[in-house]
Amino acid sequence: MRKVFLPGHFTKHLKTSIAFFILSLFIFSVIPIQTTAADDDPEEYLDNHSNEDIKRGERFFKGLLPKDRKFESCVSCHKLVTHSDTLDWNPSAMDIAVKFAGKDFSEFQSSVMQPNGKKMEASHKDFQIEEEDLKKVKLYLDGLASTGPPNPGPTVNQIMIFLLLGALMTLALIDLIFFHKIKYRLVTVLILVVALVLQIKMVADAAITLGRTPNYAPDQPIKFSHKVHVGDNKIDCKYCHHTAEFGKSAGIPAVELCMNCHVLVREGTNSGKFEISKVVDAFENNKPVEWTRIHNLPDHVFFSHAQHVGVGKLDCKQCHGAVEEMDVMRQHSDLSMGWCINCHRDTKVDFRDNAYYDNYKKLHDNLKSGKIDTIRAVDIGANDCMRCHY
Amino acid sequence: MKTYWRSIEELANPKELRRVEVREEAKQKSMLMRGDSDLNSASRRDFLKTFGFGIAAASIVASCKRPVNKAIPYLVKPDEITPGTADYYASSYFEGNEYGSIVVKVRDGRPIKIEGNTLSSVSQGGTSARIQASVLNLYDDARFKGPFKGGQEISWEKADEEIMARLADLQSQGGKVVLLSSTIISPSTRELIRKFADKQTNTEWIQYDPVSASGILQANLKSFGSAFIPDYRFNKAKVVVSFGADFLGSWLSSVEYTKGYSAARQLQNDRKEMLRHYQFESGMTLSGSNADVRFPIKPSEEGAIVLALYNAIAKIKGGQILAGVPSSVDVADLAKDLLENEKQSIIISGSNDVNIQLLVNGINQLLGNYGQTIGLENPLLVKQGIDQDTEQLLADLKAGTVKALLVWNANPVYDHPKGAEFAGAIKKAGLSVSFSERPDETTALCQYVLPETNFLESWNDLEPKAGIYSLSQPVIAPIFNSRQPQVTLLKWIGGDLNYRDYIKNHWKENQFQKQKDTADFRQFWNTSLQNGVFETVSESKSVYSPDGLSQAASQVKPAVGGLEVVIYESIAIGNGKYANNPWLQELPDPVAKISWDNFAAVPVAYAEENGLKNEDVIQVNGIELPVFVQPGQAKDTISVALGYGREIAGKVGDQTGTNLYPFVGIENGNRQFFVSSAKVEKVPGKTFELAISQTHHSMEGRPIVRETTLADYIKNPVSGNELKAEHESKSVTLYEAPVYNGHHWGMAVDLNSCTGCGNCAIACQAENNIQVIGKEQVRNRRIMHWIRIDRYYSENPENPKVSFQPVMCQHCGNAPCENVCPVAATPHSEEGLNQMAYNRCVGTKYCINNCPYRVRRFNWFQYVKNEKFDFASNSDLGRMVLNPDVTVRSRGVVEKCSMCVQRIQEKKQLAKLEGRAIADGEIKTACSQSCPGNAIVFGDLENPESRISKLFKDKRNYHLLEELHTLPSVGYLTKVRNTNV
Repeated sequence: MRKVFLPGHFTKHLKTSIAFFILSLFIFSVIPIQTTAADDDPEEYLDNHSNEDIKRGERFFKGLLPKDRKFESCVSCHKLVTHSDTLDWNPSAMDIAVKFAGKDFSEFQSSVMQPNGKKMEASHKDFQIEEEDLKKVKLYLDGLASTGPPNPGPTVNQIMIFLLLGALMTLALIDLIFFHKIKYRLVTVLILVVALVLQIKMVADAAITLGRTPNYAPDQPIKFSHKVHVGDNKIDCKYCHHTAEFGKSAGIPAVELCMNCHVLVREGTNSGKFEISKVVDAFENNKPVEWTRIHNLPDHVFFSHAQHVGVGKLDCKQCHGAVEEMDVMRQHSDLSMGWCINCHRDTKVDFRDNAYYDNYKKLHDNLKSGKIDTIRAVDIGANDCMRCHY
Repeated sequence: MKTYWRSIEELANPKELRRVEVREEAKQKSMLMRGDSDLNSASRRDFLKTFGFGIAAASIVASCKRPVNKAIPYLVKPDEITPGTADYYASSYFEGNEYGSIVVKVRDGRPIKIEGNTLSSVSQGGTSARIQASVLNLYDDARFKGPFKGGQEISWEKADEEIMARLADLQSQGGKVVLLSSTIISPSTRELIRKFADKQTNTEWIQYDPVSASGILQANLKSFGSAFIPDYRFNKAKVVVSFGADFLGSWLSSVEYTKGYSAARQLQNDRKEMLRHYQFESGMTLSGSNADVRFPIKPSEEGAIVLALYNAIAKIKGGQILAGVPSSVDVADLAKDLLENEKQSIIISGSNDVNIQLLVNGINQLLGNYGQTIGLENPLLVKQGIDQDTEQLLADLKAGTVKALLVWNANPVYDHPKGAEFAGAIKKAGLSVSFSERPDETTALCQYVLPETNFLESWNDLEPKAGIYSLSQPVIAPIFNSRQPQVTLLKWIGGDLNYRDYIKNHWKENQFQKQKDTADFRQFWNTSLQNGVFETVSESKSVYSPDGLSQAASQVKPAVGGLEVVIYESIAIGNGKYANNPWLQELPDPVAKISWDNFAAVPVAYAEENGLKNEDVIQVNGIELPVFVQPGQAKDTISVALGYGREIAGKVGDQTGTNLYPFVGIENGNRQFFVSSAKVEKVPGKTFELAISQTHHSMEGRPIVRETTLADYIKNPVSGNELKAEHESKSVTLYEAPVYNGHHWGMAVDLNSCTGCGNCAIACQAENNIQVIGKEQVRNRRIMHWIRIDRYYSENPENPKVSFQPVMCQHCGNAPCENVCPVAATPHSEEGLNQMAYNRCVGTKYCINNCPYRVRRFNWFQYVKNEKFDFASNSDLGRMVLNPDVTVRSRGVVEKCSMCVQRIQEKKQLAKLEGRAIADGEIKTACSQSCPGNAIVFGDLENPESRISKLFKDKRNYHLLEELHTLPSVGYLTKVRNTNV
């Protein structure tokens, strides 16, 4: 029966197409890994120091040397790879490397050995490091500054699962057509169907969230904590983001504004002097701070803070979440169009107190006559395309 | 009913033309698939390849992370800047002899748009297409990046040192230094040049205008004792007679004249009188196409006609009859009309012939126009060059008596009739320095190039009319390593002031003394800088004397036989300085509707006799030119535009069109812009493709222009617009009428005020990031302009009546485009806008096909960041002009006029924040803001008190294709002609 169902020449075509399918899956899986696997060549930064010295510095930094150390390794506090889900207040190895990259060894040495500031004094206590060792650590850090942090390497992600499902389907298909190892055809068909549905769901989910980044919390060049500033010190949002009420953009405060306080506040409870010194440094040396942008709307969306904060009197929290609890700032809402639209449907408009709306005579009449009880944003065209897209 | 036609072919056989057009359009569309053009050589195989690659690329992109964006705040934020909010600075434009007081919109440090400054009595809030487009010149890759010596980069210090040493040598030897500049109207700069001449004692300063007003200047020297251009007040005139002067297009101060002209012709608010305009001219100019009575004449006939008019008036007024050659045109009726409107007329001539200008002065004097419609108080200063001076310079250069030549904003190698001789002679000057901002033909021959900053990067003061001052301020730091020539001159004379302080000092000593409002100079300076203008009335002691009039009459030459070639400045390109501006290159000529080339406009009858048709090639005195059959072109004349055929201008301007400057002749020492007895022959078998767009976007002969005459209008205000009542009486619909709760944005275009100048098209292009697509694609009828100005002819093709009609998206209440979109990318808004969501558009083009107004544009290609469209948007620098408030459209989506929704949103926001209603006239679209004719009015139709609501109730108001019941939000007001003599 089955032979009739699948004539020979058709089987042959099927075989090549299956081979092609597997091959293409392989290519798909390899390319993204290749693109991230590019590596810098550290050799050119060696100058006249031997690779051995740098290796030694690295080992020392990572706590492998000296064997009889009585103090914590550098890396235990100054992490090589940072993850932003929990905030590590200590400067990372990379941070330190960059800060001291262009500076003399003596400066580095005095910074390590004669700590200043409470936090550093507490942790750098009892340091007994040979000058030779410290020099090698500096060498290692200089190398690090020029090569960038080590690669975390490829991780198992959605694509792997996707491929696995694909392989499973392929096997099921092969079995169904050629080998018939599984007794009940229903099982193979079920595997096929379930795997296919799962794959479609994965693709659909990925497509829907494509370009959306809720909970995006990238590392920032300065470990600025909204928790400390808003939560602990109760600074009003609009003190720093002072254009939110009348400008399109809420604005990232100019370094000058940070200096209003940090001209006096030079040491933080969490990070000591290291992070705040970056602000002072930027201000004094005319080096703007390159923050990593968290809330990215596509270019074809025109959003105005003035409309929402200034006119609509929305609380910042409604979109940005409990910022006062965030040590690391993260994107609270998914900023999708559905999210915008839904809010516009629910939000009531302060129709009576703003003279701008006097134009809307028909709606005012309806309100007075009791025909309608509230005006929501959607009723006055908030969901029109050209409110946000033009 | 009048028949309107857009081309000779349409007049001859409208049905056949329509067939050809449809075939042509279909061909252009199918070309994309067939691959017989370079640009779209995509086959099915290519499509599959691309498709496959697309899928692969998409899956890779999907698996990658989003790019990390940086946000870099200010270190120290300037107080006046709010990121994302535009600032406006008053400034002034003066290039190519055109002046405009402007307000520059600066977004996050980048000037992106130029608006008109309403505080100026000269430009009165209007601009021209060239002023609008000038912001793009700032971001031109062709600009010099720093100083050069002999093609090698040099530092400013070194260049200064070397040149100052050479000048010091020349000073000790008494060697002659010549500063050759275009007209300079900056009082501070003029003083500075005088100071330079004091130090460098043997310095001669020559002002050189490629299209000069020498004739007027010299005639007034004879008539009034001083060389000046009087102040023409078109707003006070009832009759205007122009002999070849295109005062609405390119003559002297066209924006100012258009403002006055439109004010004197508009019939809103029940005004019942309007200016009557007579035009004598050869080619069909912008002014001629707006004239009520137009006489097509040969340029050589002009003198005799002016003389006849003088005599006709003098006879009645009892003046002296002047002997001279007889006229070919009967001017009795014209003389009668002028005499009925004594002291309320203006006679002008564009001729550079002193004799003609003397006669014109005589006529104006007889009619008592001086002191009334022609003011002597604030003479116009924008053209001061005397042609003989440049001739003398050329002789001196050749003789080797000029030891050093400083060239500032002048390009005689290109735009002097003896350019080639100039090119040879410049080398004879021991020292040659060019201050040019960008490479040009003259600069290429100079030893030193000390590039000047763009006017948007510079401080300056200007005096366009005597006693009327304005200031320029930098709105961006110099992008390149360039320096104002004023700073250079200050350095060379050993001053240590910066130029801003120099201007301030100058104003403290001069302008400040002319006012009594404040005793505090700081306050005066700040107010003047904020307003951009400071205006006084200067006194005039000029008294007319008829000296030389009879001699002038006797020197008027009789008309000669044979073909005459008229050379004129085109509306977009002007004298050629802007040849590298792609916006201007793509702006279709208002009358011929041709972009990207100049062409020989030939009369209809001549074309028939000689078997010429559009795009044939003729040889005119040895130069090959493409033919365009121009209705209204005077018998035995051919018109060709100047400003094309640049050799060294940049990637856009190089080799575009043909240079006609070598045709410019010298007559009585002045440049004469026509050639008599031209030899013209057809080049057999040769054709040249022109980007002719006159038949594009046709509305298929439906009556969309409505017009009447003044007499009929006074009798019955509905005259010419009878169709509206008929259509409204027949209007039935299945659709519900749209309901507007708050606003209903609308626009009214007064066809009586629109002169067709094209300013709105460029203003819209700058505001809405509209891309340039190039000649090839314009030919393929894909021009992207959101507002196009349709030009219709009617009546006699030898001298037709012309109507202009700007057409943009009509934002219909019952929009035909909306209900055919399969993805709802173009729905109707709560406020009456027909919205276009680019990101939703999938490019089916159903909407384009269903739009009866032909206003939707499709992005056939990616026009941004595409090597194949190497215009402004292919470089980072060029893209700096983009308006960040408007999406840059990508390939495959439809776009159209949005009624500047970004401006609506901005002003609504402001009103809401301030808790007040929007004032009428607060929101201005880009096209309406700077319209020199005040033809476009934008506003809220829901507000019964608004100007737009009143215009919609005007008896002249009608809508395009009312019979389709599309309920447009754009209305037009019937054109009224004042022809009933």
